[in-house]
Amino acid sequence: MVNTVMFWIIAALTVIPALSLLFARKAVHVAMSVVLVMVGLAAAYVTLSAPFLGMVQIVVYTGAVMMLFLFVLMLVGVDQREDLKETIKGQRWIGLLAAAGLGAFLVSIIGRVTLPTADTMPSGDPEAVAIALFDRYVLVIEVLGFVLITAAVGALVLTHTPRLRPRKTQLEVQRDRVRVGADPVNKPMPGVYARHNALDVPALDPEGKPIEHSVSRVLEIRHQTQEGAEFRAALEDPSRKEGDR
Amino acid sequence: MDPINFVILASILFAIGAAAVLLRRNAIIAFMGVELMLNAANLALVAFSRMHGEIDGQIMAFFVLTVAAAEVVVGLGIIIAVFRARQTISLDEPAELKG
Amino acid sequence: MSFTTPEIAWAPLTPLLIVLGASAVAILVESFVRSPETRRRTQLVLSLVALVGAAGAAVVQWATLDGAGTVVLDGMLTVDRQSLAWQVLILVFGTLGTLLFASRTRAGEEAFTPLGASAPGSSDETLARRKGLQVTEVFPLALVAVGGMMLFTSVTDLIFLFVALEVFSLPLYVLVALARRRRFLSHEGALKYFLLGAFSSAILLFGAAFLYGATGSTSYAGVAAGISSSTGTDALILAGAVMVVVGLLFKIGAVPFHSWTPDAYQGAPTPVTAFMGAATKAAATAALLRVMYAALYGLNWELSWLFWVVAIASMLLGTVVALVQTELKRMLAYSSIAHAGFILVAFAGLPDTALSALPFYLASYGLATMGAFAVITQVRERSDEGTVLGEATRLGQWAGLGKRSPWLAGAMALFLLSFAGIPLTAGFVGKFVAFSAAISSGAWPLVLVAVIASAAAAFFYVRLIVLMFLTDVPEGQEDAIEIDYSPLARTVVAVTAVLVLLLGIVPGPVLSAFENAGVLLLGAGG
Repeated sequence: MVNTVMFWIIAALTVIPALSLLFARKAVHVAMSVVLVMVGLAAAYVTLSAPFLGMVQIVVYTGAVMMLFLFVLMLVGVDQREDLKETIKGQRWIGLLAAAGLGAFLVSIIGRVTLPTADTMPSGDPEAVAIALFDRYVLVIEVLGFVLITAAVGALVLTHTPRLRPRKTQLEVQRDRVRVGADPVNKPMPGVYARHNALDVPALDPEGKPIEHSVSRVLEIRHQTQEGAEFRAALEDPSRKEGDR
Repeated sequence: MDPINFVILASILFAIGAAAVLLRRNAIIAFMGVELMLNAANLALVAFSRMHGEIDGQIMAFFVLTVAAAEVVVGLGIIIAVFRARQTISLDEPAELKG
Repeated sequence: MSFTTPEIAWAPLTPLLIVLGASAVAILVESFVRSPETRRRTQLVLSLVALVGAAGAAVVQWATLDGAGTVVLDGMLTVDRQSLAWQVLILVFGTLGTLLFASRTRAGEEAFTPLGASAPGSSDETLARRKGLQVTEVFPLALVAVGGMMLFTSVTDLIFLFVALEVFSLPLYVLVALARRRRFLSHEGALKYFLLGAFSSAILLFGAAFLYGATGSTSYAGVAAGISSSTGTDALILAGAVMVVVGLLFKIGAVPFHSWTPDAYQGAPTPVTAFMGAATKAAATAALLRVMYAALYGLNWELSWLFWVVAIASMLLGTVVALVQTELKRMLAYSSIAHAGFILVAFAGLPDTALSALPFYLASYGLATMGAFAVITQVRERSDEGTVLGEATRLGQWAGLGKRSPWLAGAMALFLLSFAGIPLTAGFVGKFVAFSAAISSGAWPLVLVAVIASAAAAFFYVRLIVLMFLTDVPEGQEDAIEIDYSPLARTVVAVTAVLVLLLGIVPGPVLSAFENAGVLLLGAGG
């Protein structure tokens, strides 16, 4: 038998984050909640006398699979929001109702089932698992090798680009840069001002004017910068003190 | 408490995953729904394995874990290819295939 | 705890070992042969040798099979005449598919993109094309798919069923995404195919978990025993069985689990469409047959409504929607949905004759499918400047094809007539045996619907034939179509056309061979 308190903790730890799959807007939030679900499931496996599987679940799912999801989310842009507007009106509610119906149906089926629980606990330690894996299921293991090969080859085919052009030397890179009229040297660092050596403050040129492109573009897009104009005004009008702002 | 309750939990998770696949337009989120469904099946397998007092259900869960990992690799490969080509992963955007 | 090495009967697995072993070797070829052209030739030869060799091995096994067959590893796999028949069928489709994969246009273009990772239309893609890069990985991927499908036809364990399903699905998802032209469509088809495929395999797995829970076993024999002796778990068994069947119906492409079919068929490179249209359907039908007869036979009555509803819906929707299609590949996709319905007709009531009728039906359907798509690869658009573009798949572009290339148009007409089930073609015999199997189990209302649907479907097949032969080439469009010539694709067209005719005129030998295959090796294993 299983500890009741444990069951309810696991149920809360899995179902509540799982709901984010339906309601969260940002994919990253969904991915992080699914990580939580996976940890909850690992706990469930340990409770159900499958300790080794529980560990593997943490390693494979939270450690590898969900991190891979996060990598890809970073790659395609974290800020991609999904617009939740509906192509068919009410589709969302119909879908939710259908899913709730499916869930209720499955739950009611299990509620009607009488299935005794064996008194013997299966031994889920690595040794027992290994013996079972390489006994009756050895062919499945061998075939799984081909699944893994396919995955590796498939991913390479879809994403790997061989070197098509000769590698550019540093000299060529620099020449190209000058040719298109870009900065021949690094951009100035932001915030080298006596009172504001912060990333969000523009640097000042020798004349004391702010150099606006010294602040990172990302901060600008997020509107997290200090306005260069403010400092210019303070310079032009010495009576206004910085502290007055 | 009877381990069958874990099967009920698995069913609920399965339904949530299925709903995510059918409702979400973002391919990555829909795909995470599929992963949740596979994990729900694993939970059911392990719970049944406990009820039967045999290890077989756990072994199957191992296989599912491996297959799911491989599936993730291929799926994300396709998603990246799609993204590279058109800079979006919405399932609605590509309207070339309809009807 | 002590471990004893399990006894595995390797000999019955020879065809499978040849194919999967060759795929592993092919991967090594990928990494060690530098020049794309040499690599392509090596891969082609290797694939063909492996597939033909495996087919030979399967036939030899068929001939020398003593008794009903062999159960490998305590009920994991069963090799009997039924599974060997399907394996040979899939190997034939695999061989023809490989020929199509390797076929090139007159200008030397493959059907596949030179570089899968490049964005369509990007400078990388142009550069890759100029450098003569080729995605020769398609050959090992196809070999893995064939191996997975062969496995799929002979597994007798639910968990192995799930693994085999993934073995052949994963390479197909990748192959669909590699079209040379119109790669946006290709990507989109692959994404939909992948998401719905993964969705369906999750459903199948959840069903398998329920069946394991209710019966305490995953081998088909164990599940069948559990079903007949179940107490208090009927609901669980039924729900599990429905989910397993639904998972397989997704792969067969029956309504309402068909929505990936048109997109994947249209988006995939045409050789891949041909291979997947023929072989996936055969493999999924074989697996469904075995699951139904070996594991779920006790639920025959409870599940028959599912087959009735799905069969009728598939036949009607496939036929009606195909009528309004203007795109050739999409039309054939919807026609494949209708054919999924015809296949399911034979499942109503689970008559014993279905075990020999369905291999024949799938042989006739698969050959015609491969042939039709091979013809499509040969009809291409030409731009105003005279450069040859992609395949001409709008129906209107096929007007007057009979005058441009009588042989090609004639072969296409033959395949279409076979789809429609006109006498003297393989399709007629296939439909005849499948429907008479259904009648033998008393499902005549279903057969009636099927016959009406076939008649309606004949309309859009005949419409295309009329378009090809009785319509003139539109004014000013004389140069818009180029008839391409690829020896490999032409070989496929010729072989399939001859086989479709042969199976239609003298079906006897093949039918009686499949009748021997109509016995499943049941029992054994726990």
